[in-house]
This record gives sequence, C-alpha cells and structure tokens, in this order.
Amino acid sequence: SPFSVLGEIVVNEVNFVRKCIATDTSQYDLWGKLVCTNFKISFITDDPMPLQKFHYKNLLLGEHDVPLTCIEQIVTVNDTKRKQKVLGPNQKLKFNPTELIIYCKDFRIVRFRFDEAGPESAKKVCLAIAHYSQPTDLQLLFAFEYVGEIYHNPAKKVNGIDPGGGGGGGIGSASGQQTPLFETYSDWDREIKRTGASEWRVCSVNEGYMISTCLPEYFVVPSSLADQDLKLYSYSFIGRRMPLWSWNHPNGSALVRMANIKDVLQQRRIDQRICNAITRSHPLRSDVYKSDLDKCLPSIQEIQAAHIKLKQLCVNEPFEETEEKWLSSLENTHWLEYIRSFLKHSAELVYMMECKHVSVVLQEEEGRDLSCLAASLIQVMLDPYFRTIVGFQSLIQKEWVMAGYQFLDRCNHLKRSDKESPLFLMFLDCVWQLLEQYPAAFEFSEMYLTILYDSARISLFGTFLFNCPHQRVKESTEFAISKNIQLGDEKGLRFPCVWDWSLQFTSRDRLLFHNPLVPCVQNGAVKTFKRSKKNYSSTLRGVPPALKNGIISEQEFLPRRNSLILKLKPDFLQQTESQSNSMEQYFRDWFAKPVDLHGVILPRISGTQIKLWKLCYFRWVPEAQINHGGFITAFHKVSLLADEVDMLNRSLRQYKSNSSLQGSCSELDQSRMYFRANSLNDTSAAPDFLSSSFPFSPVGNLCRRSILGTPLSKFLSGAKIWLSTETLANED
Amino acid sequence: QVENVKLLDRYTNRKAANGTLYLTATHLIYVDASAEVRKETWILHHHIATVEKLPLTTAGYPLLIHCKNFHMAHFVIGQERDCHEVYTSLLKLSQPVKPEELYAFSYNPKMSKENREIGWKLIDLKVDYQRMGIPNDYWEITDVNKDYEVCNTYPPEIVVPKAANKAVVIGSSRFRSRGRIPVLSYLYKENNAAICRCSQPLSGFSARCLEDEQMLQAIREANPGSPFMYVVDTRPKLNAMANRAAGKGYENEDNYDNIRFKFIGIENIHVMRNSLQKLLEVCETKSPSMSDFLTGLENSGWLRHIKAVMDAGVFLAKAVKDEKASVLVHCSDGWDRTAQVCSLASLLLDPFYRTFKGFMILIEKEWIAMGHKFSHRCGHLDGDPKEVSPVFTQFVECVWQLMQQFPCTFEFNERFLLEIHDHVYSCQFGNFLGTCHKEREDLKIFEKTHSLWPFLLQKKQELRNPLYRGFTAYKELQPNTLPFSFQFWCGMYNRFDKGMHPKQCVLDHLLSCVSQKMKLEDNASELE
Repeated sequence: SPFSVLGEIVVNEVNFVRKCIATDTSQYDLWGKLVCTNFKISFITDDPMPLQKFHYKNLLLGEHDVPLTCIEQIVTVNDTKRKQKVLGPNQKLKFNPTELIIYCKDFRIVRFRFDEAGPESAKKVCLAIAHYSQPTDLQLLFAFEYVGEIYHNPAKKVNGIDPGGGGGGGIGSASGQQTPLFETYSDWDREIKRTGASEWRVCSVNEGYMISTCLPEYFVVPSSLADQDLKLYSYSFIGRRMPLWSWNHPNGSALVRMANIKDVLQQRRIDQRICNAITRSHPLRSDVYKSDLDKCLPSIQEIQAAHIKLKQLCVNEPFEETEEKWLSSLENTHWLEYIRSFLKHSAELVYMMECKHVSVVLQEEEGRDLSCLAASLIQVMLDPYFRTIVGFQSLIQKEWVMAGYQFLDRCNHLKRSDKESPLFLMFLDCVWQLLEQYPAAFEFSEMYLTILYDSARISLFGTFLFNCPHQRVKESTEFAISKNIQLGDEKGLRFPCVWDWSLQFTSRDRLLFHNPLVPCVQNGAVKTFKRSKKNYSSTLRGVPPALKNGIISEQEFLPRRNSLILKLKPDFLQQTESQSNSMEQYFRDWFAKPVDLHGVILPRISGTQIKLWKLCYFRWVPEAQINHGGFITAFHKVSLLADEVDMLNRSLRQYKSNSSLQGSCSELDQSRMYFRANSLNDTSAAPDFLSSSFPFSPVGNLCRRSILGTPLSKFLSGAKIWLSTETLANED
Repeated sequence: QVENVKLLDRYTNRKAANGTLYLTATHLIYVDASAEVRKETWILHHHIATVEKLPLTTAGYPLLIHCKNFHMAHFVIGQERDCHEVYTSLLKLSQPVKPEELYAFSYNPKMSKENREIGWKLIDLKVDYQRMGIPNDYWEITDVNKDYEVCNTYPPEIVVPKAANKAVVIGSSRFRSRGRIPVLSYLYKENNAAICRCSQPLSGFSARCLEDEQMLQAIREANPGSPFMYVVDTRPKLNAMANRAAGKGYENEDNYDNIRFKFIGIENIHVMRNSLQKLLEVCETKSPSMSDFLTGLENSGWLRHIKAVMDAGVFLAKAVKDEKASVLVHCSDGWDRTAQVCSLASLLLDPFYRTFKGFMILIEKEWIAMGHKFSHRCGHLDGDPKEVSPVFTQFVECVWQLMQQFPCTFEFNERFLLEIHDHVYSCQFGNFLGTCHKEREDLKIFEKTHSLWPFLLQKKQELRNPLYRGFTAYKELQPNTLPFSFQFWCGMYNRFDKGMHPKQCVLDHLLSCVSQKMKLEDNASELE
C-alpha cells in the first residue's frame, strides 16, 4: 500500500483523473487515481514518468504526492460553465469541477482534470482536500493522529524507527552524533562549556513553564543574576521573555537576545541591571552593544510581501512576459535586498563581538522573529561547529524551536493566520548565500538546505509544528487526555523529530546531504569540523586580578571607549564615525587575508554576490531546467574526485599496513559520497538524469500556466483583491 | 620615471599607496614603495583604452586610466608637469599609428626561428576540415581565392559545395557584400547538415542573382537528408530592411528554392558598444545597493544582448541537430554577429571545440581566418572610435555563460578565456593583428611575430578545468536561455576589483585536489 504512514487513512478518492503536464497539449498527461488522505494528496498512476529515471525518494511521499500542510490554495474550475472558485474550509461547491489546481507552498503547481471521472466523486475529493488541508484546530493536524496511534500501538513503528526517540542526529552511517534539542538542562550546560561561557549559568526558573509560556524550560543567564531577580524582572518584558543567552565568543563576548521592556517606568532601571549583569559576565567587563533589530532590518510583513512577489515572479509569470524586465522584476520583489540586509547587519555584529570584544544584545519587540534569524546567522559566521550538520541542527533547535519562533503561525500550517512570514526560509537562503561564497566551509550541501525547508511543511514532525515548546506540551496533553493516552512522567506527547532523517530518506540517499568539497580541501586529514582552538585567546580568558576587583586599567579601558552603548558621551557622533571607519577597516583586513574555513567567515554583500537560490525556487519549473547541466554536474564530478582520493588513500594505507588486517575491506565499501567513482579516472558520461533540478524533478509539473485566459498567478493569495471583485461574478 | 605617485584602490578606499611610476616602451609600471613587500602594477600600453585628467585634489593631480581588459587605475601625481607628461606620453603610447609599432613586432621571448614556425603551425584548419570528413562527396576545399580575387577578406582556401563551380562562386561573390560568398563553417557529420556563413546579398528591393541562387541550392543539396534549408539573418528586421535602400538587404524567399528565412534580432556594433559602456558604469559604482545593481544591469541591456547571441546559437544548433537542416547565416558584412553565432553553434554541437586545441581552432577558423576585424573592433591602432565594439568579448562571455550552466563540459577554465581576451587586446602576439588574412600576410606577422597558442598550452596546468569530464561525456549542449539563466560575469568586468570576488576560490582548491590525487596515484603505482 502506498499509504504506509501509521494512522494515515484514505478519506476520498476518484479514478480516471488526468494529471496535466502542459496546458496546451495533453499528450504527456498522466492518467491515474487521485486520493485524499488525512496526511497528503496522492496521485497514483500506472504511467511511468517519461523522464525521471533516478530513484531519490522520500519514504513518506510518492513522486506525485503533496503533504496537506504544503498546500497553499485550492482552485476548482468548471470550464463549460466558465466558473472557478477558490475552495476555503467548509465551503460548498455548487458546480461539478472539471479541473482542480493545487498551489503548493514550495512553489509547485499541480493540476488535475476530471473529464473522464465521476463528477460526484471528483467534487467529493476536492471538498475533502479543502477540508483536510485547512483544519480548524491544531490537534486535527496529522501529526497528532500519528502520535496517537504510536502511543496506542507502541509495537508499530513507521519505517522501523521509534518516533519517540526524538534526538536522531546522525544522517550518515559515520556520524553517530545526536542533535542536542536543548529541551534539557544538560544540553544548555554542555553548550556553556563548549563555548567557554564560564560566567553564565543555566536557569531553571521556567521549569513547568511557570513564568513564561513562550520561553523554553531551561535557558542561560548571566551568573550574577539571581533567580529571584529574574522572576521579578520578567513581568516587565513582553511575553515575560527574559534575556536569553545564545552563544559566547572565545574572547568572552556574549550574544544575547532580549524582548522589549514594556514597563516604561521600570525600563531604564531593568535595562541597566541586565546590561550590568552581562557586562559582569564578560572577562573584560566590556560594555554591551545593543542592536534594535526592529529598526535596522525589514519587518516580517515586508518579508512576507517580498516572498509573495518572488513566488509570482519565479513560478507564475509566463517567462515571455518577464523577458525584457527580469532583473527589475527581481529587484522589485526586494527579496535579495532583504537577504543582503540580514547578511550585512549580522556581519556588523560579528565585527562588534570579534573585534570590539563587546557583548551583543539583539533587541526586538517580542524577540522571537528577526532575532532568531540574526542570532543564528551570526553564529554560523563565527562558529564552524554550526557549519556542520549536527551543529546546524542544534542551532535551529536552540535559536528557533526552543526560542519560540512561531512555526505554526509563520508557516501558516492552519491556513488561517495573517501572521504568515517566511523568516525560516529567509534564514536558509542567507545560509545558502554563505555556502555559495564559501563552498567548502560547510559540511552540508544545498540539497540538505532545500530538503530541510521542505520538511518544515510535512505535518508529521513536531519540530516545526508549534509556536513554542509549551504549546506542544499543552496541546498534546489535552489531546492525550481526550484520547485516553497515559502520559506517565512525560511532559506531553513526543512527536517524531525532523532530525531523524531516516524517517524520510534511506541512508544512501542521506549521503546527498554531504558537501563533497569538504574532504577535498582538508586534504583528507580532518574529517570533522572543530571549533578552532587558536581562536580562544588564553590571555583574555584569564582575567587579570585587577579586573576582578572592579578596577579597570587604562589599557583594558580601550574597548569600552569605542563601544557604541555609551550614548551619554558627548562625542558619540564622532565615535560612530570612527566606529564605521574601523569596521570598514576590519572587513578590509579580513578580506585581504586568506580565509580560514574553520574560523570566521564573512559574506560579500555587493550586488554581484547576492544571488537567487535557483534550486529552491526554480526546481519545479520545467522551463527553468538545464538538462545535463547545472551545479549538480559539478557536485557529481567533485564527488567522484573525492571518492577517488579516498580510494587511493585507503589503498595506500593498506599497502603501508602491509594488508595485515582484513578489516580494511569493510572500509573499502564505505563511501561518503552519494555519487561514487566506478574506478579511478572514471570518465564515463554523467548520468542522464542529472539536471539543474536534481534531486527534484519538475517533470510531471505544469508549464505555460493560464486557464480560461486568466494567468494562474491571478488565483494566488497575492491577488486576493482580484478574487473578491472579479471572481464574484464567476463564482457559483 | 615619476616619483611620489599615489595609486588609489577604488574598492577598498584604503590609504593610498605611495610609489614610483615608470613608463617603458611597452608597459606602465607602478612600484609601490610603501608596501612591505615590493608590489608592482603592470599595465600594458596597448591595454589602455582611455586616459583622463581629473580636476586637482588636495593630494595632487589625478590621472584616471581605463583599460580594455576592464582594469582601472587611479593615480595621483604630485606635480602638474609630471602629470601632463605622463598623460601625453600614454596617449601616444597607447594608440600607435603604424602597425609596426605594435608590441608583437618587438616582443622577443627568445625562441628559435624553428620553434616560432612550429608555433604558427600548431593550429591547422585543414586538420579540422578533415575531422569533419571534408573533402567528401558534397564539399571541397578550394583555392579559388588564392589571389584574393573572390574576396579579399576571406582566407585563400575556403570550403564550398562541390556542385558550385567557379562560375557560380564568382557570380555569387558579385551579389554578396564585399564578395563574402557563402562558405562552410561547420559540417555536422552525423547527418550532413551544415552551417554556412556569408554577408548580406546585394538584393536591394528586387535584384536577384542566378549564381547566388544556385549557390544556395548547392548548399541545400549537399544535405540530401533535408528538403529545405534555413537562411538566418542575425540582424533585427528593421535594420535589414533599411539596408535595402542602399542596395543591400536580405534574401527574398520567392527567389530561392526551399529556403526558410528567419531574422534573429542581434543589435549592431554601436548598440553593443553603448551597452558595454553602461555596464561598466554599473561596475564602477562604488558599493551599489541591490537595487542600483539590478536596475543598472538591466538598463545596460548587456545580458539581453548576450541572450540574443546565445538564442541565435541555440537556434542554429537545433536546426542542424534536431531538424537536420543546413543553415546559412549572415548579418551585414558577415564578420561580427555571424562569427559570434557560427562559433557558438559549433561549440554547442561539437565537444571537440570545448577542448584547448578545439577552442583555439574555433577562434582561428571563425574569427581570425574569416576576417573579424580585430584591429578595428579592439582599437589596436589610432582610428575611428565608432569601429570599436566588444563583439569578441560577447562571444567569450557566451562561452563563460555556457560554463556556468555546464561546469563539467569544458577542458579549460575561466582563466583561459580571460587570457585569450587579454591577448586579443595586448597585441603581444601576431594572431589578432590586422583585419584579415591578407593584411596579416602583408604585415608579415608569420615571419615577424609569435603565435599565442603555444604560450597558452605551456600554461595548461593552471588553465584547465578540474571538473572536466572528458571528451566523450557530453555531446551537444542545450543551454537554458531564459533571462534568469544569464549571470553577471564578475570575473571579467570586475576582475581587477579584488573586493568583488568570492573570497574562496574553489577552482584553486579543486586544482590542488586533482594534483593531490595524481600524487597519490604516483605513490600507489610506486608501491605496486
């Protein structure tokens, strides 16, 4: 059965459906059965796909499947009656649809025709899809169904994996590391130790979410702040979101995120106390640099608007129309401009920490949107650990999932939120820009980033389902009670974790997550990233005794004078200027030196260097595909090269050890590469299936989009105005 | 020699370097005295496109030099007199009047006479025709032009259909602008479809020529597999129509049997020159915003023109491969757009042209031999600035765009393209001097200068593409030509702006990875 996911049931289905491949000709169309389950819509066809020959598959989803949470908009059409309707939840449909168009959040458009299908069944399927993809309540999302089944039948495991495990770090056979989820005290404690943040402590005042429902149970605060004080201060912060420590620079500077203080009277005093505490946690006692993200970065609404325009441009506008003005249309979306501003601002804050030795506080209204992005980006630039797969995943746990990024609302899983904004995508895009500029600095590939983005829209994983950790506990406890599930000691139900990549991909397919360039540049010697030891300055670590007494010598005073926080100083303006000069100088010097891939990486931010992430945005567009070409062919060749180098190294080792142990044979079978060399100097043709869209296939998706003379883009959510006026006449 | 000269780095805004400027017979050399390590900037006089004196600043008298390879140098000279002297000397040195003054005639790499001759024989076009299977039943190499009687801008030996006798060739040449008759550019061996090139017909509004019609018929019949052939005019229709008033124009479909006529609107050399100018203005904007860059790039129209050339190349390749039809291509004189389009189509169809040797042959064949006026288009000598146009640059960029889409299909890397591009302007080697074969003979370049190609082959190691998958891995290329597939070529237009390049050079990493692999292989074979 194609419906292998536990708890998945078929809701409705209709036979003799045609999946349209092109609008003008039907000769390539596929015939099959359209099925709506409580997890996905599925198209089951006997027709083989004409071109797709590779077998890269998601274990949860078939080639033509769309998870319900990935659906953006459903449009039904009756072309004889010339009627069309966007199907909302619980709506009636007064005509029999001849056609169904599904707009997906991943920029895909799929279109089905019902000419030969039973009109009633077709209508039922459409209504079922509309109903199940737009649930009225969080607990109606499939993940709950699935987890309920698991708890009722602990013996059944999807794909043989225990979903309760949660951690699931390793994506390749080699790395057995688990991704820290930061749900526990010990994960935070380890991160403190890893970064050497000796003046910081894990705080458990929020255990049981007693203080804030949008903070994690454990988080890190300056050692000098007592729990009692924190509780007191928390009332003044929006959402009672106390300052959260993110990371420590080897020089002792900390990265902290903080919500605004709503209590105007207390504002100054509390702010002062917090800043003092952060200063006290710095080995140099240097000042705090505050960055008000709301003032210097695009708002979430602007980002959402940019995303809608980008979608229109990449997917919906017929390319002939944009031919002459592609670049200005791209400019008009502002997407790249916003990418650039995040990169630029983060790089400036890197400068503050790295060069000015000051702690940085990211300030934002609620501190759970732009701060997630800025905090993670700064850490990716500064700490090579976050450029490994496990490190990157732990970063997302720490700065997004645990910090209360509202995945439910921002991803709009329930399709009724006006709070939708693709901040997480923008983060992945920013990381992609860095990956593009430093192709060998990351352990993962752009495929990994794209698949991670897709995984946020599969409603099976708890990782990206909730607005905050407390919501998971609350909702799943309610659900457990209603379903008679005994929770025992557990805090809420445990959902499968997205980092458990084995749920979605075989171990071989997971090899595609790995960047083949990494072993190349490391001369095959170092296989894993390590936080560069030489960045740790022991002189800074060891605090001079004078400082401990609160006396700061002239020499140590220097970083203070240059810091921006001293707003009271009369020569502030002058300082800002010298500040920006010294910042430029820092960037110039950094770029003049050879890059250390295990150290800091900074982005180039000139217009020529910020690019459109084509794999992510164009992969479903047949016209955009480059057959036998694209970056993947280079990826393929580099993989072979790396594989050959490995092979040679292995055989050399064998010679040296005089082939004493047979154990090395098993080593020979292990390749870290998805693409393997058949032999040394393999010059055979690259596989036929490689195209710029690999491992995704736009084959089977629509091209040349218009319907009844109306460009399909008009149906999109970006054009709601059109729907309210023009369609009314056409609607039933 | 001028001391106390400052060199401003326009990207970094760094404190100006202080040093000494030297003018030699061939180069401008700037030695940075302030740097710890001796740093020299060399600019070839031939590379200098413009020299400008800017208004006096507190630091001194600024002199701005723009180069043809998109290098830009901003000097500040302490004394007005020095500045003026440098200025006038550079003007003179950068634009020689007589061809004999060009660098190639004085360049002496200390090479024996024999080696120089071997160097010139490295590229032999006849070998390439043999590779295509010519002569065969339909095509022959003829020396009908040995005294340049048919066409003085064609080489002595040309490839024409066997069926076209001398009378047809001569007759057709009278009907073609500057006598540039239809000749073979590339034969696609698999199906006998050919790409031929010529100049526009002297058709005016109604003139016709029997021999020219026979010539086209002979080309069509040399490909028995197809009942028709394409005639492609690479100009915009309006331009072609305007030419009719001057007694030139385009083929009338009624007069020629079974031809399909098509316009492909590639703009003329003047539009391209202006477009490049606008592009360079965008490149020179200091730290442009995202929006400045994107709109500036679009308004320059540069990528649109590149796309037009690429589209034409793709059309030709498809006609030949998919429709199995021969194509005759022309523009006005058939030495600019025609050269671009024919060489691009060959590159798309035949993996041989994507190797070092093949690419050299392609340039020798479609550009040098067929009379692309390098001397005029590149402004080698003091001459009409309206004749200058980045036609060859556009071709090189098209190749680069293909490299972006198909990273494993070229034996050489971006640096090879840049080297060639540099030397097209440097006049250091004889290959690109003059305007046509006859002129090069008159200049005695084969006796007096060196050929570029052996020098490039010596540097093969650093110019090779580590991702190349070999000759057999890819046959025809089908590039995507939607607008978003064309990227701005930072490595060319901002090449000397270190600040604009990606920090990490993957190419170097890969090259070292490959050499590491070779070392390991050596180790392994030693052990064996």
